[in-house]
Amino acid sequence: MTAAGVVTLLPFIALTLSAVVVMLAGTFHTSHRLTVGLTLGGLAWTLAMLPVTAARGGRQVTELLLLDDYTLFFIGLLVLTTAGVVLLSYGYLERRESHPHDYYTLLLLATLGGATLVASTHFASFFLGLEVLSVSLYTLIAYPRLHADFIEAGVKYLVLAAATAAFLLFGMALVYAELGTMSLNGFALLHVTGGGAADTSLLVGGFVLIIVGIGFKLGVVPFHMWTPDIYQGAPAPVTAFVATVSKGAMVALLLRYFRGVSLNPHDTVWIVFAAIAAASMIAGNLLALLQSNVKRLLAYSSIAHLGYILVAFLAVGRTAAVAVGFYLVAYFVTTLGAFGVVAELSGAERDADRIDDYRGLAARRPLLAATFALVLFSLAGIPLTVGFLGKFYVVNAGARSQLWWLLIVLVATSTIGLYYYTRIVVAMYVEQPQALPSAPRPARLGAIAGSRASDAVLIVVAGLVLFLGIYPAPLIRLLEHVVAGLP
Amino acid sequence: MHTMIVLIPLLPLAGFVVTLLLGKRVLSARPEVVSLAAVTASWVLSMIVVAHVFGAHDKAIDFNLFTWVSAGSFHVQWGYLVDSLAAVMLIVVSTIGMLVHYYSIGYMRSDGGYYRFFAYLNLFMFAMFTLILANNYLLVFLGWEGVGLCSYLLISFWFHKKSASQAGKKAFLVNRIGDWGFTLGLFLIFTTFGSLQFGQVFAKVSLVSPGLVTWISLLLFVGAVGKSAQFPLHVWLPDAMEGPTPVSALIHAATMVNAGVYMIARSYPLVSHSHTAMLVVMIVGTFTAIYAACIALTQNDIKKVIAYSTISSLGFMFMALGAGAWVAAIFYLFAHGFFKGLLFLGSGSVIHSMSGEQDMRRMGGLRKKLPLTFWTMLIGALANVGMFPFAGFWAKDEILGGDFSAHYYIVWAVGIVTAFVTALFMFRLMFLTFWGENRASAEVQRHIHESPRVMTVPLVILAIPAAVLGLVVGLPPDGGWLHTFLQPVFFNVEKEHFAWAGTGGGLMALSLVVVALGISTAYVAYLRRPGLPARAAARVPWAYEASYHKFYMDEFYNAAVIRPVMGFAMWLWAFVDVRVIDGAVNGLAWLWGAFGRVLRPLQTGRAQSYAFGVFAGLFVLIILIRYFWGA
Amino acid sequence: MSAVDWYLTLATGLFCIGAYGVLARRNVILIVMSLELMLNAVNIALVAFADFLPGAAGRGTFFALFIITLAAAEVTVGLAIVVANYRYSRSVQADEFSEMKG
Repeated sequence: MTAAGVVTLLPFIALTLSAVVVMLAGTFHTSHRLTVGLTLGGLAWTLAMLPVTAARGGRQVTELLLLDDYTLFFIGLLVLTTAGVVLLSYGYLERRESHPHDYYTLLLLATLGGATLVASTHFASFFLGLEVLSVSLYTLIAYPRLHADFIEAGVKYLVLAAATAAFLLFGMALVYAELGTMSLNGFALLHVTGGGAADTSLLVGGFVLIIVGIGFKLGVVPFHMWTPDIYQGAPAPVTAFVATVSKGAMVALLLRYFRGVSLNPHDTVWIVFAAIAAASMIAGNLLALLQSNVKRLLAYSSIAHLGYILVAFLAVGRTAAVAVGFYLVAYFVTTLGAFGVVAELSGAERDADRIDDYRGLAARRPLLAATFALVLFSLAGIPLTVGFLGKFYVVNAGARSQLWWLLIVLVATSTIGLYYYTRIVVAMYVEQPQALPSAPRPARLGAIAGSRASDAVLIVVAGLVLFLGIYPAPLIRLLEHVVAGLP
Repeated sequence: MHTMIVLIPLLPLAGFVVTLLLGKRVLSARPEVVSLAAVTASWVLSMIVVAHVFGAHDKAIDFNLFTWVSAGSFHVQWGYLVDSLAAVMLIVVSTIGMLVHYYSIGYMRSDGGYYRFFAYLNLFMFAMFTLILANNYLLVFLGWEGVGLCSYLLISFWFHKKSASQAGKKAFLVNRIGDWGFTLGLFLIFTTFGSLQFGQVFAKVSLVSPGLVTWISLLLFVGAVGKSAQFPLHVWLPDAMEGPTPVSALIHAATMVNAGVYMIARSYPLVSHSHTAMLVVMIVGTFTAIYAACIALTQNDIKKVIAYSTISSLGFMFMALGAGAWVAAIFYLFAHGFFKGLLFLGSGSVIHSMSGEQDMRRMGGLRKKLPLTFWTMLIGALANVGMFPFAGFWAKDEILGGDFSAHYYIVWAVGIVTAFVTALFMFRLMFLTFWGENRASAEVQRHIHESPRVMTVPLVILAIPAAVLGLVVGLPPDGGWLHTFLQPVFFNVEKEHFAWAGTGGGLMALSLVVVALGISTAYVAYLRRPGLPARAAARVPWAYEASYHKFYMDEFYNAAVIRPVMGFAMWLWAFVDVRVIDGAVNGLAWLWGAFGRVLRPLQTGRAQSYAFGVFAGLFVLIILIRYFWGA
Repeated sequence: MSAVDWYLTLATGLFCIGAYGVLARRNVILIVMSLELMLNAVNIALVAFADFLPGAAGRGTFFALFIITLAAAEVTVGLAIVVANYRYSRSVQADEFSEMKG
């Protein structure tokens, strides 16, 4: 690797060093606040390195990583979201963990894994990023050791993630055998030309196995079954991380290397993805309809949202790629807000995941209720929110490519979605608390600061939901620039 | 002028935010002041804007604030359009909205969620203003969803009543169906025209294939059917009466339910291009008008009678739109907003004084005790049935005249029958409520009192336009001020005019006779006191003879008119409305839930069964891919 | 059948045995072992392909090294969670982990 390569890799170096620093600081039993400060500092440093790398132009570093504007945009998105998760975790862990330091190291490492995934151009870096992300997540999910739900969720995630990673690897091996290359670019070309290898059966098998691995991370039907259990079982800030960073990194990878799929709606691969998208929209929304557990409800709704993203993914053209990016940003912001509210309301014993916890919330915690309502409206796609525009761009992209059947499914199922989101809003604003189990405002100093930190995140989220919902032009311009290099 | 127009929706929005955030603590003494100030200011601004539009005749104000959404070459602006159609809507919405706010001070005072109520009302006003002032379909959609959401929140405002939250749910579900149509209509518009701006869309209508225009119009109409409670999506409106009465007056009589009519009228250049769509609009409207009127006959809940009457009136408006009597439809909307708002607020005053009683069978004789409510409601009822010279008369006459001149004689005949039934049920309501003996319990009777000034003054104010609006804007028929005013919007309507002294006068006379017949039937059926003839007979024999014949007349009425009409109405309500349509709505909801319940057991909670799911999914994908690969 | 096909058959067989173990074993430790088996099946396939592919294309061996390393990390963390759970519930049965469902 050359010196130029080192400069290009600055964001990665910054993330890695931050993780090391936070880990070392943790061994000295420093305060929780210092650890959080160091983590945020590391993330800010990483963020500051992005323009430095960008100024040098897009660069391939070894065979494994490519840091062009597309990569850097998504790394920025992941890092900012992680910063939000860190702020949410502060108050949450303050209430229930005596030793929260390693949590932040793991969070930074998971972000590093996500960033590697986004930057990868090779099967090896793809797998490396995926595993760094997954292994950190196993531990993060089970981090607060004193609760059965967390460990149960950790074990489930471990078994399923490892099994699907094995599928992914086997798929990669088969594709490698057939194509003789491990470059993702070679793989992408395969889609653009529509196959063509003489003996396709290995290729088909390999391809499907890779879809299993990707589909698992995205949490789309039929690889979605882990989502509700993990969302429910993991600590709320970690759930926010799983829902955003881990899924978003995979979407970024999918968008870069599988775009060829959208070019030919009669392609087999296209049909497979279309079936996955439709099934995700339908199953996600129908299952969410029956939920009274808010975290599970958000899990099912996330399945549906990934389905919407796939609709834009399957559409042709620059507009469609922009739509995927925009929807992803909208989804990141709103998901962070939703789980932020859940985390902030969660007490020391259990997470606030029952719908009863939200009855009459407007009277008790107006800011939380208002943010949650806004975020839910955004998820439901009510105008004036970023979620509405996201859906609008997706539909626009779909209509341009005449994906009528997918659009009809999208519109029909999102009307169901409106129902279950609004139910929570009604619980918060119209209904009264049943027994008022309100967690009293924390008394400890650190906990108050934690509460402030999550309030800050929620205010930023609410502001973004409205700002991007009313004036999306700057983000759209940025995305148009970022996706310019895609096919 | 632009700033003023922008402020009209913005002020209630600010009022909403302030009231919701500060209503409980800071404004706890008078939580309503901010929202009242906001709507009052909006009303003043609206009047200035309307005056301006009226003065600068034929010059619509159309401007964009900023680019809201852009995707590639496609842009949607955030912009407003105030032309004469929007101005008429602005008068109705701002006036009634403001009056309802004031009325609510009295009606909702004792309610726990007082400040929230005002916050939601303000939010509703924001959405409604946005809907009528938008200059493109996407912004209309924003308002459309917004008013729906507020309506949902306000219907279930008394959530502790199970029926109230059920009603909110039903309103929500039924409106989803309508919104689905509207959304698809929007997609079709922007894929067809490449724009959602009214001006750009309407300019290109003639370049597009007629089939496409028909589809667009019909999809928009599906949205209108949901929002304006037309058959078969009308079921939510009667149930929505579970909400507080000011909400019924504002949302379910004067403003939101008119949104569908407004949207079709706004899309005049599109819809009028498609004969098929016009025909569908007319048929659905006509059927709804007679159907809902018949059902109103059977209801005992005073608010439900008025709710069905609203559905019927909205049907009348669609009938007019479909028959090409565009101005008449807007005229009716204009008048209807006032007299139906009046009737709802009046019924609220009655319910308020009867300690919450809504069943007319336990009312009666309130004429003396609630004089102001009685007189204003009488004006509202007379306007509603179309009695000369009240507002409803002129508007209804123009609609029926429009049907007749367009040679839709059957529609016209149905309209006449509807007028009869309307007179019958409206005066059944009046007679049962205000005449006769009071049938309430002694406890309730002791508390009967006229409502406070803050509630009766809005009634009086609304009674004025309900009485004289027709004389002011509707004379002469088919050529009044409103026609001139709306001419730029409905620029191309060709219509046969009747001679004022010839056919036109004859039709008017006929409809008056029918209304009188309806009122007298109601009189006979609901006010004739048993025992009266017998006493009269004992005193004066010749009078006995007369009342014997009157009795005979009653028998005739009963056998020939009342029993069949009531029987039919009962069947419509009990079977068609409750069983078939409600059943279908509930069935649909159940069906979605059932699909979910089928999928749910798959989520066993065991990691290994999920892994098995992954395998199964893999297997399905392999089959799928093998099947299509190389095909 | 060429030599590479034999290797592929062997790898597929091992992979399926591992997958069966993941689905059927009730002991979490055995499930983790089965996962290892699946990963190692992939390693066999990769090394075999690398050997048969010509020239620079045959660099799949280093990927196998990647997998070995990462698999070790995965097992370490996995067993740590299993131990944590054992402390909590005195059990390593997979069926115990089904509190959350629906």
